[in-house]
Amino acid sequence: MVAAGPAGAQPTVAERFTRGEPIDVELDHIERAFADLWKAASAAGDGAVSRAALWNIVVPTRAQDHERARKMVDELAPLLPARVLVLVEEPEAAHGADADRDEGVRATIESNVVARSSGARVVYSEEITLRGRRGDARFGALVRALQVPGLPTATLWSDATMPEGLLRRQILPETDRLVLDTGLCTRPRQLLEVQRCPELASHDGLPVTDLGWLRLANFRLQFAGLFDAPVGGGPLLAARRVTIRHRASDEPSALLLAAWLASTLGWLFAAAEPAAAGVVGPRFRFDRPALSGGARAAASPGGPVEIALFLSEGECGTSGIGALELETDDPAVRFTVTRTERNHATLTSPIAPPRIVTFDSRRDAELFVTALGPAGRDPLFARCLALAARLATFTATT
Amino acid sequence: MSTAPVLVPNPLREGLHEERIPEPATMVIFGASGDLTKRKLVPALYSLARDRLLPARFAVVGYARKPIPEDAFRDDMRKGCDEFARRRPVDAELWGTFANHVFYQEGSYDDPAAYAALKTRLEEIEKALGLPGNRVFYLSIPPSSFATVVRHLGASGLTSPADGRFARVIIEKPFGTDLATAQSLNRDIHQTLTEKQIYRIDHYLGKETVQNLLVFRFANGIFEPVWNNRFVDHVQITGAETVGVEGRGGYFEQAGILRDMVQNHLFQVVSLASMEPPISMDPDAVRDEKLKVLKALRTIPPAEMDAHVVRAQYAAGSMAGKKVPGYREETGVSRTSQTETYVAMKFFIDSWRWAGVPFYLRSAKRMPKRVTEIAIHFKEAPHLLFGKRGEGIRPNVLSIRIQPDEGITLNFGSKLPGPAMEVAPVSMEFRYGSSFGVEPPEAYERLILDCLLGDNTLFTRADEVEASWTWISRIHQHWAEQAASGNVQLATYAAGSWGPEPADRLLSADHRAWRRP
Repeated sequence: MVAAGPAGAQPTVAERFTRGEPIDVELDHIERAFADLWKAASAAGDGAVSRAALWNIVVPTRAQDHERARKMVDELAPLLPARVLVLVEEPEAAHGADADRDEGVRATIESNVVARSSGARVVYSEEITLRGRRGDARFGALVRALQVPGLPTATLWSDATMPEGLLRRQILPETDRLVLDTGLCTRPRQLLEVQRCPELASHDGLPVTDLGWLRLANFRLQFAGLFDAPVGGGPLLAARRVTIRHRASDEPSALLLAAWLASTLGWLFAAAEPAAAGVVGPRFRFDRPALSGGARAAASPGGPVEIALFLSEGECGTSGIGALELETDDPAVRFTVTRTERNHATLTSPIAPPRIVTFDSRRDAELFVTALGPAGRDPLFARCLALAARLATFTATT
Repeated sequence: MSTAPVLVPNPLREGLHEERIPEPATMVIFGASGDLTKRKLVPALYSLARDRLLPARFAVVGYARKPIPEDAFRDDMRKGCDEFARRRPVDAELWGTFANHVFYQEGSYDDPAAYAALKTRLEEIEKALGLPGNRVFYLSIPPSSFATVVRHLGASGLTSPADGRFARVIIEKPFGTDLATAQSLNRDIHQTLTEKQIYRIDHYLGKETVQNLLVFRFANGIFEPVWNNRFVDHVQITGAETVGVEGRGGYFEQAGILRDMVQNHLFQVVSLASMEPPISMDPDAVRDEKLKVLKALRTIPPAEMDAHVVRAQYAAGSMAGKKVPGYREETGVSRTSQTETYVAMKFFIDSWRWAGVPFYLRSAKRMPKRVTEIAIHFKEAPHLLFGKRGEGIRPNVLSIRIQPDEGITLNFGSKLPGPAMEVAPVSMEFRYGSSFGVEPPEAYERLILDCLLGDNTLFTRADEVEASWTWISRIHQHWAEQAASGNVQLATYAAGSWGPEPADRLLSADHRAWRRP
């Protein structure tokens, strides 16, 4: 039942509801409130209302990050019909220290409305916000009760410092896909906390993906494309030095990119040099094993290779990466992908003139939709995150 | 830079397999001065580049007989992208670099020296841009030139690439005008190309909903068990256009709607909707099953042809409130034309699955609305329980809308709210536009990308083309015999109507009626 009051007041509540305003509801009347409001909206509007949903999406967040989560959920509505459950963990102070004064979990519901250009269809998706005490054990039961049956459930666990128990005991059992966001890490060592999530999820065999990993897709794809025929992988096997330029707050992204290169190319981590003063970042030395047999062996002399991280003052987009450069022993052989303004990048290689390509700066909601597709099952990610977390232990502690 | 004698595979491609990015390549468009290049092909390539689905190293070479300065060709292609590209407005910076990789080469289609010059030009471009020599030749030229161009491409060595490189040829429709010409064309091009190098394009197969036929049928467990003659009463396929001949009267006079729409587009839809599950999504596994459908089309005896196939021509009428001329009044059309702008037919697929199920197909110009759909009409419930209160019960219909407003609708009976057990038809709808917020790519984008990736699942194989012509050519032959004997059975229908009365009789004789899509 809608908490707004008697039946006579419902049209007003329905109007607020279809405008996307949050409506307070009692916890055990959420489904009924939705049904009443949709019915009222259908009767009052331009015909029948579609209730579309392809996924259940669970978004745990802290109260101070709720606004960011809300924005993402609003942006998600036109991209993916879904029932979204936002779990807001409020600080203890909001509930009082005395357990008897616990206000319990409070709920609001709201709609997200999308008018299609044809005008013929309007898609609504539903958002339920549950506010409760930190680590409230009732969250899990509410998630179970409020999932649309038969639909898969994705959890966006963007803050890896939230209580592990909430994830492990209450949310993971209800989740079919876990989505992380290393892009929110501003310090390398936060990767160590993030790394726990795939470990927890692996017990249930859950696919895990990362919005930060997807933000790096442009760099990974375009850099890989530099070594398509007729260049081939020879220069990669003969690499001596890789430089990654990144925004100051995006060193974790740079480490993930470094880990991708090292993992894919089979480089073995050997040593690290922490950051020096100024703009010089950490440097990591890898051993590049010599290969035997075939074309690869001829091109791969073995030996050390260095990945150096530098701060960039230039355009870094949403990934936080400004440039990726690879050098071999031959100074004339250099491959670069450099991010430029307005979502473009310049590619250079020794065999062709520089070329401009488009990069994206997809919003989090767009990345999230991608994460629910085939890209959300990238087996490389967990391996690269593990290596990035290891590299992070050699970076500065602050 | 020194390169290894044997190309080392690119290890960074590992883990990027979910991204459908082809290898660096060059696309040569024959007939580049034509409308298709400007309206569809280059805009499709640009949109692919904009969506980061083309490799960074990629070149487009326009080839045609007309002398056009390269800059003018680029400017014209830019105008085409400005007007027709799915991704608009055009990104000026991206276009700058894209245009630098667009070239134009003038040349005749039957002069060996022109092909030698083209080969030299391609080698220069590939060297300058670091391209490996992968090539796609897109034949957007009159069908009469297909065989000639392929022969010259072969003679000049352009279809025999170096080890590890590819050379593929995309051939636009129409692929032949009857069985004999299709067979002859296949024979000719097979002297130069292997079947795996040939990509016969039918842009209907690039449409999302057509591809979704495979997903809908074979990725869902509940539909396939009822997708047969035990549950299906009949099937209706509609390919309706609102437009007339749009200044292409000369072409349409030679083609007619049967050649223009049915032999290729609609028969592809029929085969995907009625084929058996393939053993895999391997291109030949899918095409083998489509071929079986086309081979199982029951031959209509000449004596029964007029009872199974109705043809008609549109007369003057009105469309969207405006008067429009009849077909014979269109520019380029003979005043005594006997070319059909409407065809309706009833046919059977002689297979275990479809034995006894009639398929009714209609396609026409100047229909009240533009719609392509396939509708599966299920049999009635075996015993109707609700007496007069059940008068609202209609047989279930599953309709798959291919264009526009792509989606799937299932009609079923539902109890009307209230104390009585009264039944009313309701519909459950899935719409691409509502369920998925993303804009689907243009058909040409998907098909060009597939060709660059070497995936010919959505292209028509030689034996499919010949099988469909085998069936269609019998109708043309019958009509030719009627024309020779002065006994042409050609009905008329008003522009803006759903077709002639004889087409309605085709179904009413079976106690059925056309859907109003």
